[in-house]
Amino acid sequence: MSVKRLAVVTVLAGAGLVLATYFAVVASPPAAAQVRPYTPPQSQKGADWTERIGELLPLGVETRAEATERVVNYKPDPVKYPVPRTPWDGKPDFSGVYWPDATIAPPPVPLESLYRPEAREYREGGGAARGLIDWRGIDTPNYHCWPPSPVNGSMGGTIQLVSAPGYLLLLNEGSSNFRIIPIVGENGRRPSAARRPSFQGSSVGHWEGDTLVIDVTNFNGKPWLGPARPPNQLPQTSSDALRIVERWSRPDAQVFEYRLVVEDQKMLTAPWTGATERRGIMPYDTVLESLCFLDPELDARHRDYAAQQAAKKGAAAR
Amino acid sequence: MSKRTLTLVIGAVIVGGALWVGLRRGANENSAANGTPTPVSPTSWGEPDLTGVWKGEALGASTERDSFNLTTLEGLYKPEARARMQKMSTKDDPSLRCAPPAFPRAAMLGHAVQIIQRPGFAYVFTEAYPVFRIIQTTGRPHTAEQYLYPTYMGDSTARWEGDTLVVDVNSFNGEGWLAGPLDKPTSASTGIWLTSPVMHVVERWRRIDADTLEYQARVEDPEMLTVPWETPTVTLKRQPVETIEEALCRPEDGPDTYLARLGS
Repeated sequence: MSVKRLAVVTVLAGAGLVLATYFAVVASPPAAAQVRPYTPPQSQKGADWTERIGELLPLGVETRAEATERVVNYKPDPVKYPVPRTPWDGKPDFSGVYWPDATIAPPPVPLESLYRPEAREYREGGGAARGLIDWRGIDTPNYHCWPPSPVNGSMGGTIQLVSAPGYLLLLNEGSSNFRIIPIVGENGRRPSAARRPSFQGSSVGHWEGDTLVIDVTNFNGKPWLGPARPPNQLPQTSSDALRIVERWSRPDAQVFEYRLVVEDQKMLTAPWTGATERRGIMPYDTVLESLCFLDPELDARHRDYAAQQAAKKGAAAR
Repeated sequence: MSKRTLTLVIGAVIVGGALWVGLRRGANENSAANGTPTPVSPTSWGEPDLTGVWKGEALGASTERDSFNLTTLEGLYKPEARARMQKMSTKDDPSLRCAPPAFPRAAMLGHAVQIIQRPGFAYVFTEAYPVFRIIQTTGRPHTAEQYLYPTYMGDSTARWEGDTLVVDVNSFNGEGWLAGPLDKPTSASTGIWLTSPVMHVVERWRRIDADTLEYQARVEDPEMLTVPWETPTVTLKRQPVETIEEALCRPEDGPDTYLARLGS
Protein backbone atom coordinates (compact mmCIF):
# COMPACT_ATOMS: atom_id res chain seq x y z
CA MET A 1 0.00 0.00 0.00
CA SER A 2 1.36 3.38 -1.00
CA VAL A 3 1.79 6.13 1.59
CA LYS A 4 -0.85 8.24 -0.17
CA ARG A 5 -3.44 5.46 -0.07
CA LEU A 6 -2.58 4.75 3.56
CA ALA A 7 -3.20 8.40 4.39
CA VAL A 8 -6.63 8.37 2.64
CA VAL A 9 -7.67 5.18 4.45
CA THR A 10 -6.53 6.63 7.81
CA VAL A 11 -8.50 9.84 7.25
CA LEU A 12 -11.64 7.87 6.28
CA ALA A 13 -11.30 5.57 9.28
CA GLY A 14 -10.88 8.59 11.54
CA ALA A 15 -13.98 10.26 10.09
CA GLY A 16 -15.94 7.02 10.55
CA LEU A 17 -14.82 6.77 14.17
CA VAL A 18 -15.86 10.39 14.87
CA LEU A 19 -19.25 9.78 13.26
CA ALA A 20 -19.82 6.53 15.18
CA THR A 21 -18.95 8.26 18.46
CA TYR A 22 -21.25 11.18 17.60
CA PHE A 23 -24.25 8.93 16.93
CA ALA A 24 -23.54 6.70 19.93
CA VAL A 25 -23.00 9.41 22.53
CA VAL A 26 -24.17 12.84 21.45
CA ALA A 27 -27.04 12.31 19.06
CA SER A 28 -28.77 9.44 20.87
CA PRO A 29 -31.92 10.53 22.73
CA PRO A 30 -31.64 10.95 26.52
CA ALA A 31 -32.78 7.96 28.53
CA ALA A 32 -35.69 9.88 30.07
CA ALA A 33 -37.28 10.50 26.68
CA GLN A 34 -37.36 6.84 25.72
CA VAL A 35 -40.84 5.43 25.78
CA ARG A 36 -41.30 2.30 27.81
CA PRO A 37 -44.04 -0.14 26.90
CA TYR A 38 -47.02 0.55 29.08
CA THR A 39 -50.19 -1.39 29.80
CA PRO A 40 -53.02 0.81 31.05
CA PRO A 41 -54.31 -0.19 34.50
CA GLN A 42 -57.51 -2.18 34.47
CA SER A 43 -60.52 -1.24 36.52
CA GLN A 44 -60.16 -2.42 40.07
CA LYS A 45 -63.85 -3.16 40.15
CA GLY A 46 -64.75 -6.66 39.05
CA ALA A 47 -64.53 -10.26 40.01
CA ASP A 48 -60.74 -10.71 40.03
CA TRP A 49 -60.06 -7.81 42.31
CA THR A 50 -62.93 -8.67 44.62
CA GLU A 51 -61.79 -12.27 44.91
CA ARG A 52 -58.26 -11.22 45.69
CA ILE A 53 -59.26 -8.73 48.32
CA GLY A 54 -62.34 -10.49 49.60
CA GLU A 55 -60.37 -12.38 52.20
CA LEU A 56 -59.41 -9.15 53.88
CA LEU A 57 -62.46 -7.00 53.35
CA PRO A 58 -65.74 -8.78 52.74
CA LEU A 59 -67.81 -5.81 51.68
CA GLY A 60 -71.04 -4.91 53.30
CA VAL A 61 -70.85 -7.41 56.11
CA GLU A 62 -68.57 -5.61 58.52
CA THR A 63 -69.07 -2.86 60.99
CA ARG A 64 -66.28 -0.38 61.49
CA ALA A 65 -65.37 -2.07 64.79
CA GLU A 66 -65.21 -5.49 63.13
CA ALA A 67 -63.11 -4.16 60.27
CA THR A 68 -60.78 -2.47 62.75
CA GLU A 69 -60.35 -5.67 64.75
CA ARG A 70 -59.65 -7.69 61.60
CA VAL A 71 -57.06 -5.16 60.33
CA VAL A 72 -55.38 -5.10 63.76
CA ASN A 73 -55.15 -8.90 63.82
CA TYR A 74 -54.10 -9.20 60.18
CA LYS A 75 -50.68 -10.77 59.62
CA PRO A 76 -49.08 -9.21 56.54
CA ASP A 77 -48.04 -11.83 54.01
CA PRO A 78 -45.75 -10.36 51.32
CA VAL A 79 -45.40 -13.77 49.64
CA LYS A 80 -49.13 -14.22 49.10
CA TYR A 81 -49.75 -10.49 48.54
CA PRO A 82 -46.48 -9.07 47.13
CA VAL A 83 -45.82 -5.39 47.75
CA PRO A 84 -46.85 -3.49 44.58
CA ARG A 85 -43.96 -1.52 43.13
CA THR A 86 -43.95 1.47 40.82
CA PRO A 87 -42.68 0.96 37.26
CA TRP A 88 -40.61 4.15 37.40
CA ASP A 89 -38.42 3.55 40.46
CA GLY A 90 -39.30 0.12 41.84
CA LYS A 91 -40.25 1.60 45.22
CA PRO A 92 -43.41 0.46 47.05
CA ASP A 93 -46.56 1.76 45.35
CA PHE A 94 -48.92 3.07 48.03
CA SER A 95 -51.76 3.68 45.57
CA GLY A 96 -55.15 2.56 46.81
CA VAL A 97 -58.20 3.46 48.86
CA TYR A 98 -57.82 2.59 52.55
CA TRP A 99 -60.08 2.18 55.58
CA PRO A 100 -60.34 2.01 58.58
CA ASP A 101 -57.59 3.46 60.75
CA ALA A 102 -56.61 0.74 63.21
CA THR A 103 -54.07 1.16 66.00
CA ILE A 104 -51.73 -1.82 66.07
CA ALA A 105 -49.38 -0.44 68.74
CA PRO A 106 -50.40 2.29 71.22
CA PRO A 107 -48.11 5.24 71.94
CA PRO A 108 -45.52 4.46 74.66
CA VAL A 109 -46.75 7.41 76.73
CA PRO A 110 -49.91 9.54 76.40
CA LEU A 111 -49.38 12.81 74.54
CA GLU A 112 -51.04 14.66 77.41
CA SER A 113 -48.26 13.62 79.81
CA LEU A 114 -45.70 15.62 77.80
CA TYR A 115 -47.51 19.00 77.73
CA ARG A 116 -45.62 21.81 79.40
CA PRO A 117 -47.37 23.11 82.54
CA GLU A 118 -46.70 26.69 81.44
CA ALA A 119 -48.73 26.09 78.24
CA ARG A 120 -51.88 25.62 80.34
CA GLU A 121 -53.23 29.14 79.97
CA TYR A 122 -52.67 29.09 76.23
CA ARG A 123 -54.49 25.78 75.98
CA GLU A 124 -57.38 27.01 78.13
CA GLY A 125 -58.02 29.70 75.55
CA GLY A 126 -57.99 27.17 72.70
CA GLY A 127 -54.54 28.16 71.47
CA ALA A 128 -54.62 29.89 68.11
CA ALA A 129 -58.37 29.22 68.03
CA ARG A 130 -58.99 31.65 70.93
CA GLY A 131 -62.28 33.39 70.24
CA LEU A 132 -63.17 30.98 67.46
CA ILE A 133 -63.66 27.49 68.87
CA ASP A 134 -65.81 27.21 71.98
CA TRP A 135 -64.29 23.91 73.05
CA ARG A 136 -66.02 23.67 76.44
CA GLY A 137 -69.24 22.82 74.64
CA ILE A 138 -69.38 20.35 71.81
CA ASP A 139 -67.44 22.62 69.47
CA THR A 140 -64.31 21.13 67.90
CA PRO A 141 -62.00 21.99 64.99
CA ASN A 142 -63.98 19.48 62.90
CA TYR A 143 -67.05 21.70 63.02
CA HIS A 144 -64.93 24.52 61.61
CA CYS A 145 -63.77 22.47 58.62
CA TRP A 146 -60.17 22.52 59.79
CA PRO A 147 -58.10 19.77 58.16
CA PRO A 148 -57.76 16.58 60.25
CA SER A 149 -55.07 16.59 62.95
CA PRO A 150 -51.50 16.31 61.66
CA VAL A 151 -50.89 13.75 64.41
CA ASN A 152 -52.95 11.42 62.28
CA GLY A 153 -51.09 12.39 59.12
CA SER A 154 -53.94 14.83 58.36
CA MET A 155 -55.88 11.72 57.32
CA GLY A 156 -59.65 11.54 57.52
CA GLY A 157 -61.75 8.39 57.75
CA THR A 158 -61.42 6.99 54.23
CA ILE A 159 -58.36 8.02 52.27
CA GLN A 160 -56.79 7.45 48.90
CA LEU A 161 -53.04 7.32 48.45
CA VAL A 162 -51.45 7.86 45.05
CA SER A 163 -47.82 7.19 44.26
CA ALA A 164 -46.67 9.27 41.30
CA PRO A 165 -43.16 10.02 40.00
CA GLY A 166 -41.63 12.31 42.63
CA TYR A 167 -44.78 12.55 44.77
CA LEU A 168 -47.04 10.82 47.23
CA LEU A 169 -50.59 12.18 47.23
CA LEU A 170 -53.04 11.85 50.11
CA LEU A 171 -56.67 12.44 49.16
CA ASN A 172 -59.19 12.65 51.98
CA GLU A 173 -62.80 11.64 51.66
CA GLY A 174 -64.82 13.63 54.13
CA SER A 175 -63.23 17.03 54.20
CA SER A 176 -61.72 16.68 50.70
CA ASN A 177 -58.41 18.01 52.02
CA PHE A 178 -55.32 16.71 50.32
CA ARG A 179 -51.59 16.56 50.92
CA ILE A 180 -49.07 16.76 48.09
CA ILE A 181 -45.81 15.29 49.36
CA PRO A 182 -42.73 15.83 47.16
CA ILE A 183 -40.17 13.06 47.41
CA VAL A 184 -36.66 14.50 47.42
CA GLY A 185 -34.22 13.15 44.91
CA GLU A 186 -36.76 11.73 42.48
CA ASN A 187 -36.47 13.36 39.07
CA GLY A 188 -34.22 15.93 40.71
CA ARG A 189 -37.14 17.33 42.69
CA ARG A 190 -36.46 19.50 45.70
CA PRO A 191 -38.83 20.92 48.31
CA SER A 192 -40.24 24.38 47.74
CA ALA A 193 -38.45 27.03 49.75
CA ALA A 194 -40.99 29.67 50.69
CA ARG A 195 -44.39 28.19 51.41
CA ARG A 196 -46.94 29.81 53.66
CA PRO A 197 -47.25 28.19 57.10
CA SER A 198 -50.31 25.96 57.01
CA PHE A 199 -52.55 23.53 58.93
CA GLN A 200 -50.97 20.53 57.23
CA GLY A 201 -47.45 21.92 57.10
CA SER A 202 -44.91 21.47 54.32
CA SER A 203 -43.93 17.88 53.68
CA VAL A 204 -40.70 16.51 52.25
CA GLY A 205 -40.30 12.76 51.76
CA HIS A 206 -37.27 10.57 51.20
CA TRP A 207 -36.81 6.84 50.97
CA GLU A 208 -34.96 4.84 53.61
CA GLY A 209 -35.01 1.42 51.94
CA ASP A 210 -38.69 0.67 51.37
CA THR A 211 -39.87 3.11 54.04
CA LEU A 212 -40.99 6.58 53.00
CA VAL A 213 -39.84 9.03 55.68
CA ILE A 214 -41.71 12.35 55.58
CA ASP A 215 -40.51 15.41 57.46
CA VAL A 216 -43.35 17.87 58.06
CA THR A 217 -42.63 21.42 59.25
CA ASN A 218 -43.91 24.94 58.56
CA PHE A 219 -47.17 24.51 60.48
CA ASN A 220 -49.26 27.60 61.24
CA GLY A 221 -49.59 26.93 64.98
CA LYS A 222 -53.35 26.36 64.74
CA PRO A 223 -53.85 22.56 64.66
CA TRP A 224 -55.01 20.72 67.73
CA LEU A 225 -53.07 17.49 68.04
CA GLY A 226 -55.90 15.64 69.73
CA PRO A 227 -59.53 16.29 70.62
CA ALA A 228 -60.48 18.31 73.68
CA ARG A 229 -62.45 16.33 76.26
CA PRO A 230 -63.83 18.94 78.60
CA PRO A 231 -63.65 19.34 81.50
CA ASN A 232 -60.85 16.82 82.05
CA GLN A 233 -58.63 17.48 79.07
CA LEU A 234 -57.68 20.80 77.57
CA PRO A 235 -57.25 21.22 73.82
CA GLN A 236 -53.94 19.66 72.78
CA THR A 237 -52.74 22.76 71.00
CA SER A 238 -49.62 23.08 68.87
CA SER A 239 -47.25 25.90 68.02
CA ASP A 240 -45.35 27.06 64.96
CA ALA A 241 -42.42 24.97 66.27
CA LEU A 242 -44.34 21.77 65.49
CA ARG A 243 -42.37 19.20 63.55
CA ILE A 244 -43.58 15.72 62.66
CA VAL A 245 -41.50 12.90 61.22
CA GLU A 246 -43.69 10.22 59.65
CA ARG A 247 -42.66 6.74 58.53
CA TRP A 248 -44.87 5.10 55.90
CA SER A 249 -44.45 1.49 54.88
CA ARG A 250 -46.31 -1.14 52.88
CA PRO A 251 -45.85 -4.56 54.57
CA ASP A 252 -47.87 -6.25 51.80
CA ALA A 253 -50.46 -5.42 49.13
CA GLN A 254 -53.35 -5.45 51.59
CA VAL A 255 -52.30 -2.80 54.10
CA PHE A 256 -50.05 0.17 54.75
CA GLU A 257 -48.63 1.19 58.10
CA TYR A 258 -47.85 4.55 59.53
CA ARG A 259 -46.09 5.89 62.61
CA LEU A 260 -44.71 9.23 63.66
CA VAL A 261 -42.70 11.27 66.14
CA VAL A 262 -43.99 14.72 67.15
CA GLU A 263 -41.72 17.53 68.34
CA ASP A 264 -42.97 20.86 69.60
CA GLN A 265 -40.55 22.56 71.94
CA LYS A 266 -43.01 25.32 72.82
CA MET A 267 -45.75 22.87 73.88
CA LEU A 268 -44.05 19.58 74.80
CA THR A 269 -41.23 18.72 77.18
CA ALA A 270 -39.91 15.94 74.90
CA PRO A 271 -40.60 14.40 71.49
CA TRP A 272 -43.69 12.18 71.52
CA THR A 273 -43.90 8.87 69.67
CA GLY A 274 -47.39 8.28 68.36
CA ALA A 275 -49.30 5.07 67.81
CA THR A 276 -48.46 2.71 64.97
CA GLU A 277 -51.49 2.68 62.71
CA ARG A 278 -52.52 0.37 59.92
CA ARG A 279 -55.17 0.73 57.24
CA GLY A 280 -56.61 -1.97 54.99
CA ILE A 281 -57.01 -1.52 51.24
CA MET A 282 -60.52 -1.25 49.80
CA PRO A 283 -61.75 -2.52 46.42
CA TYR A 284 -62.45 0.97 45.08
CA ASP A 285 -60.81 3.05 42.37
CA THR A 286 -61.22 6.40 44.06
CA VAL A 287 -62.53 8.23 47.05
CA LEU A 288 -65.59 10.39 46.44
CA GLU A 289 -66.04 14.12 46.60
CA SER A 290 -67.30 14.85 50.08
CA LEU A 291 -67.07 18.39 51.38
CA CYS A 292 -67.21 20.19 54.69
CA PHE A 293 -69.70 23.05 55.10
CA LEU A 294 -70.05 25.32 58.09
CA ASP A 295 -73.45 25.79 59.62
CA PRO A 296 -74.68 29.41 59.43
CA GLU A 297 -74.11 30.09 63.15
CA LEU A 298 -70.48 28.98 62.94
CA ASP A 299 -70.12 30.87 59.70
CA ALA A 300 -71.22 34.06 61.47
CA ARG A 301 -68.70 33.33 64.22
CA HIS A 302 -65.95 32.93 61.62
CA ARG A 303 -66.77 36.29 60.11
CA ASP A 304 -66.78 38.00 63.53
CA TYR A 305 -63.45 36.37 64.29
CA ALA A 306 -61.97 37.53 60.99
CA ALA A 307 -63.21 41.06 61.64
CA GLN A 308 -61.66 41.05 65.14
CA GLN A 309 -58.35 39.81 63.78
CA ALA A 310 -58.39 42.50 61.10
CA ALA A 311 -59.18 45.16 63.72
CA LYS A 312 -56.30 43.90 65.90
CA LYS A 313 -53.93 44.05 62.96
CA GLY A 314 -55.14 47.56 62.16
CA ALA A 315 -54.60 48.67 65.78
CA ALA A 316 -51.12 47.14 65.80
CA ALA A 317 -50.26 48.91 62.55
CA ARG A 318 -51.31 52.25 64.05
CA MET B 1 -14.91 3.51 -11.60
CA SER B 2 -11.40 3.16 -10.26
CA LYS B 3 -10.74 2.18 -6.65
CA ARG B 4 -9.34 5.61 -6.03
CA THR B 5 -12.48 7.40 -7.27
CA LEU B 6 -14.68 5.04 -5.20
CA THR B 7 -12.62 5.82 -2.07
CA LEU B 8 -12.97 9.54 -2.71
CA VAL B 9 -16.79 9.28 -3.22
CA ILE B 10 -17.22 7.28 0.02
CA GLY B 11 -15.02 9.75 1.86
CA ALA B 12 -17.04 12.70 0.51
CA VAL B 13 -20.33 11.06 1.56
CA ILE B 14 -19.03 10.44 5.11
CA VAL B 15 -17.60 13.93 5.55
CA GLY B 16 -20.69 15.51 3.97
CA GLY B 17 -22.95 13.51 6.26
CA ALA B 18 -20.98 14.57 9.32
CA LEU B 19 -21.21 18.22 8.26
CA TRP B 20 -25.00 17.93 7.66
CA VAL B 21 -25.65 16.34 11.07
CA GLY B 22 -23.45 18.90 12.78
CA LEU B 23 -25.17 21.83 11.07
CA ARG B 24 -28.64 20.45 11.89
CA ARG B 25 -27.73 20.08 15.54
CA GLY B 26 -26.36 23.60 15.60
CA ALA B 27 -29.59 24.86 14.03
CA ASN B 28 -31.66 23.14 16.77
CA GLU B 29 -29.56 24.71 19.49
CA ASN B 30 -29.97 28.09 17.83
CA SER B 31 -33.77 27.71 17.71
CA ALA B 32 -33.80 26.95 21.46
CA ALA B 33 -31.65 29.98 22.14
CA ASN B 34 -33.99 32.14 20.02
CA GLY B 35 -36.95 31.24 22.22
CA THR B 36 -38.57 28.85 19.74
CA PRO B 37 -40.60 26.36 21.82
CA THR B 38 -38.64 23.20 22.53
CA PRO B 39 -40.51 19.91 22.64
CA VAL B 40 -41.31 18.63 26.13
CA SER B 41 -40.20 15.12 27.02
CA PRO B 42 -43.07 12.74 27.61
CA THR B 43 -43.52 10.93 30.91
CA SER B 44 -41.46 7.78 31.34
CA TRP B 45 -44.53 5.74 30.32
CA GLY B 46 -45.01 7.71 27.10
CA GLU B 47 -47.85 10.15 27.84
CA PRO B 48 -47.52 13.92 27.27
CA ASP B 49 -46.31 15.40 30.55
CA LEU B 50 -48.61 18.03 32.12
CA THR B 51 -46.99 17.72 35.55
CA GLY B 52 -46.31 21.00 37.29
CA VAL B 53 -47.70 23.98 39.15
CA TRP B 54 -49.40 26.37 36.70
CA LYS B 55 -50.91 29.79 37.14
CA GLY B 56 -52.84 32.12 34.86
CA GLU B 57 -54.23 35.61 35.26
CA ALA B 58 -57.46 36.25 37.14
CA LEU B 59 -60.13 36.55 34.45
CA GLY B 60 -63.68 37.84 34.50
CA ALA B 61 -65.96 40.46 33.13
CA SER B 62 -67.08 44.02 33.76
CA THR B 63 -68.77 46.49 31.41
CA GLU B 64 -65.30 47.71 30.40
CA ARG B 65 -63.55 44.39 29.88
CA ASP B 66 -64.55 40.78 29.33
CA SER B 67 -61.64 38.36 29.45
CA PHE B 68 -63.65 35.13 29.76
CA ASN B 69 -66.24 35.36 26.98
CA LEU B 70 -68.97 35.96 29.57
CA THR B 71 -70.85 38.43 27.38
CA THR B 72 -71.51 35.54 25.02
CA LEU B 73 -72.43 33.21 27.88
CA GLU B 74 -74.92 35.70 29.25
CA GLY B 75 -76.65 35.84 25.87
CA LEU B 76 -76.98 32.04 25.76
CA TYR B 77 -79.16 31.63 28.86
CA LYS B 78 -82.67 30.43 28.09
CA PRO B 79 -85.63 32.70 29.06
CA GLU B 80 -86.71 30.33 31.85
CA ALA B 81 -83.19 30.33 33.29
CA ARG B 82 -83.13 34.14 33.15
CA ALA B 83 -86.45 34.27 34.97
CA ARG B 84 -85.00 32.11 37.73
CA MET B 85 -81.85 34.20 37.95
CA GLN B 86 -83.84 37.43 38.22
CA LYS B 87 -85.36 36.11 41.46
CA MET B 88 -82.00 35.19 42.97
CA SER B 89 -79.29 37.17 44.73
CA THR B 90 -75.54 37.16 44.10
CA LYS B 91 -75.31 36.02 47.74
CA ASP B 92 -76.68 32.67 46.54
CA ASP B 93 -73.32 31.87 44.93
CA PRO B 94 -72.48 28.51 46.54
CA SER B 95 -68.81 29.46 46.56
CA LEU B 96 -69.68 32.00 49.25
CA ARG B 97 -70.45 28.96 51.42
CA CYS B 98 -67.09 27.48 50.45
CA ALA B 99 -68.47 25.10 47.85
CA PRO B 100 -65.72 24.48 45.29
CA PRO B 101 -66.04 26.07 41.85
CA ALA B 102 -65.72 23.46 39.13
CA PHE B 103 -63.64 23.94 36.01
CA PRO B 104 -63.90 26.03 33.84
CA ARG B 105 -64.75 28.58 36.56
CA ALA B 106 -61.74 27.42 38.59
CA ALA B 107 -59.50 28.29 35.61
CA MET B 108 -60.53 31.97 35.70
CA LEU B 109 -59.78 32.59 39.37
CA GLY B 110 -56.05 33.17 38.93
CA HIS B 111 -55.19 30.64 41.64
CA ALA B 112 -52.37 28.18 40.97
CA VAL B 113 -53.31 24.76 39.58
CA GLN B 114 -51.18 21.67 40.18
CA ILE B 115 -51.27 18.61 37.94
CA ILE B 116 -49.63 15.31 38.87
CA GLN B 117 -49.74 12.23 36.64
CA ARG B 118 -49.24 8.53 37.07
CA PRO B 119 -49.89 5.89 34.42
CA GLY B 120 -53.55 6.13 33.45
CA PHE B 121 -54.45 9.02 35.77
CA ALA B 122 -54.05 12.76 36.18
CA TYR B 123 -54.78 14.54 39.46
CA VAL B 124 -55.71 18.22 39.46
CA PHE B 125 -55.52 20.46 42.54
CA THR B 126 -56.03 24.19 42.92
CA GLU B 127 -55.16 26.73 45.57
CA ALA B 128 -58.73 28.01 45.33
CA TYR B 129 -60.42 25.28 47.35
CA PRO B 130 -59.46 22.15 49.29
CA VAL B 131 -60.82 19.78 46.69
CA PHE B 132 -59.23 17.56 44.08
CA ARG B 133 -60.04 16.04 40.70
CA ILE B 134 -59.17 12.48 39.77
CA ILE B 135 -59.09 12.07 35.98
CA GLN B 136 -58.70 8.73 34.21
CA THR B 137 -56.59 9.30 31.11
CA THR B 138 -57.06 5.99 29.29
CA GLY B 139 -60.39 6.81 27.66
CA ARG B 140 -62.28 4.52 29.98
CA PRO B 141 -66.04 5.15 30.04
CA HIS B 142 -67.52 7.33 32.76
CA THR B 143 -68.37 5.77 36.10
CA ALA B 144 -71.30 3.41 35.59
CA GLU B 145 -74.65 5.08 36.17
CA GLN B 146 -75.53 3.04 39.24
CA TYR B 147 -72.36 4.29 40.97
CA LEU B 148 -72.60 7.89 39.76
CA TYR B 149 -72.69 10.42 42.51
CA PRO B 150 -73.48 14.01 41.48
CA THR B 151 -70.76 16.36 42.71
CA TYR B 152 -69.53 19.92 42.40
CA MET B 153 -66.47 18.81 40.39
CA GLY B 154 -68.23 16.16 38.28
CA ASP B 155 -67.07 12.77 37.02
CA SER B 156 -64.08 13.05 34.67
CA THR B 157 -62.69 10.71 32.08
CA ALA B 158 -60.10 11.65 29.49
CA ARG B 159 -58.20 10.53 26.44
CA TRP B 160 -55.14 11.85 24.67
CA GLU B 161 -55.65 13.45 21.25
CA GLY B 162 -52.05 13.89 20.18
CA ASP B 163 -50.52 16.03 22.89
CA THR B 164 -53.89 17.34 24.17
CA LEU B 165 -55.67 15.80 27.15
CA VAL B 166 -59.37 15.92 26.29
CA VAL B 167 -61.42 15.58 29.46
CA ASP B 168 -65.11 14.75 29.40
CA VAL B 169 -66.94 15.77 32.58
CA ASN B 170 -70.51 14.98 33.59
CA SER B 171 -72.43 14.12 36.76
CA PHE B 172 -72.41 17.64 38.16
CA ASN B 173 -74.80 18.40 41.00
CA GLY B 174 -76.19 21.50 39.28
CA GLU B 175 -75.35 23.78 42.20
CA GLY B 176 -72.14 25.33 40.89
CA TRP B 177 -72.02 28.60 38.97
CA LEU B 178 -70.09 29.22 35.74
CA ALA B 179 -68.74 32.60 36.91
CA GLY B 180 -68.75 34.75 40.03
CA PRO B 181 -71.06 37.40 41.49
CA LEU B 182 -68.63 40.17 40.54
CA ASP B 183 -68.72 39.18 36.86
CA LYS B 184 -71.16 41.59 35.22
CA PRO B 185 -70.29 42.11 31.55
CA THR B 186 -73.29 44.34 30.81
CA SER B 187 -75.26 46.89 32.77
CA ALA B 188 -78.16 44.43 32.81
CA SER B 189 -76.04 41.55 34.21
CA THR B 190 -77.24 39.88 37.39
CA GLY B 191 -73.89 38.33 38.36
CA ILE B 192 -75.70 34.99 38.60
CA TRP B 193 -74.47 32.12 36.44
CA LEU B 194 -76.56 29.00 37.05
CA THR B 195 -75.85 25.46 35.89
CA SER B 196 -78.01 22.35 35.93
CA PRO B 197 -77.26 18.66 36.66
CA VAL B 198 -77.24 17.90 32.91
CA MET B 199 -74.21 20.12 32.35
CA HIS B 200 -71.53 18.46 30.24
CA VAL B 201 -68.05 19.95 29.94
CA VAL B 202 -65.32 19.03 27.47
CA GLU B 203 -61.93 20.41 28.46
CA ARG B 204 -58.71 20.54 26.48
CA TRP B 205 -55.44 20.69 28.42
CA ARG B 206 -52.29 21.09 26.33
CA ARG B 207 -48.67 21.65 27.21
CA ILE B 208 -47.34 24.20 24.71
CA ASP B 209 -43.74 24.23 25.91
CA ALA B 210 -41.73 23.72 29.06
CA ASP B 211 -43.27 26.78 30.74
CA THR B 212 -46.74 27.04 29.23
CA LEU B 213 -49.99 25.12 29.57
CA GLU B 214 -53.21 25.95 27.74
CA TYR B 215 -56.75 25.27 28.92
CA GLN B 216 -59.99 25.58 27.02
CA ALA B 217 -63.48 24.27 27.73
CA ARG B 218 -66.80 23.80 26.00
CA VAL B 219 -69.89 23.83 28.21
CA GLU B 220 -73.17 22.23 27.19
CA ASP B 221 -76.17 22.64 29.43
CA PRO B 222 -79.41 22.15 27.49
CA GLU B 223 -81.52 23.04 30.54
CA MET B 224 -79.83 26.42 30.93
CA LEU B 225 -78.19 27.36 27.61
CA THR B 226 -79.57 27.51 24.08
CA VAL B 227 -76.29 26.35 22.53
CA PRO B 228 -72.91 25.28 23.98
CA TRP B 229 -70.61 27.98 25.32
CA GLU B 230 -66.89 28.05 24.55
CA THR B 231 -64.40 29.58 26.97
CA PRO B 232 -61.42 31.45 25.59
CA THR B 233 -58.09 29.65 25.71
CA VAL B 234 -56.53 30.30 29.12
CA THR B 235 -52.74 30.43 29.28
CA LEU B 236 -51.10 29.18 32.45
CA LYS B 237 -47.42 29.65 33.22
CA ARG B 238 -45.20 27.24 35.13
CA GLN B 239 -44.45 28.26 38.71
CA PRO B 240 -41.03 27.47 40.18
CA VAL B 241 -42.45 25.51 43.15
CA GLU B 242 -42.99 21.84 43.91
CA THR B 243 -46.43 22.18 45.46
CA ILE B 244 -49.27 24.67 45.61
CA GLU B 245 -50.11 26.36 48.90
CA GLU B 246 -52.63 24.79 51.25
CA ALA B 247 -56.06 25.61 49.89
CA LEU B 248 -58.50 27.15 52.35
CA CYS B 249 -61.61 29.20 51.83
CA ARG B 250 -62.60 31.25 54.85
CA PRO B 251 -61.49 34.87 55.34
CA GLU B 252 -59.61 34.15 58.58
CA ASP B 253 -57.47 31.64 56.70
CA GLY B 254 -55.64 34.41 54.90
CA PRO B 255 -55.85 37.30 52.47
CA ASP B 256 -55.53 35.12 49.39
CA THR B 257 -58.63 32.99 49.93
CA TYR B 258 -61.50 33.23 47.51
CA LEU B 259 -63.84 34.86 50.01
CA ALA B 260 -61.25 37.38 51.15
CA ARG B 261 -60.66 38.36 47.55
CA LEU B 262 -64.35 38.97 47.14
CA GLY B 263 -64.22 41.22 50.18
CA SER B 264 -66.77 38.96 51.79
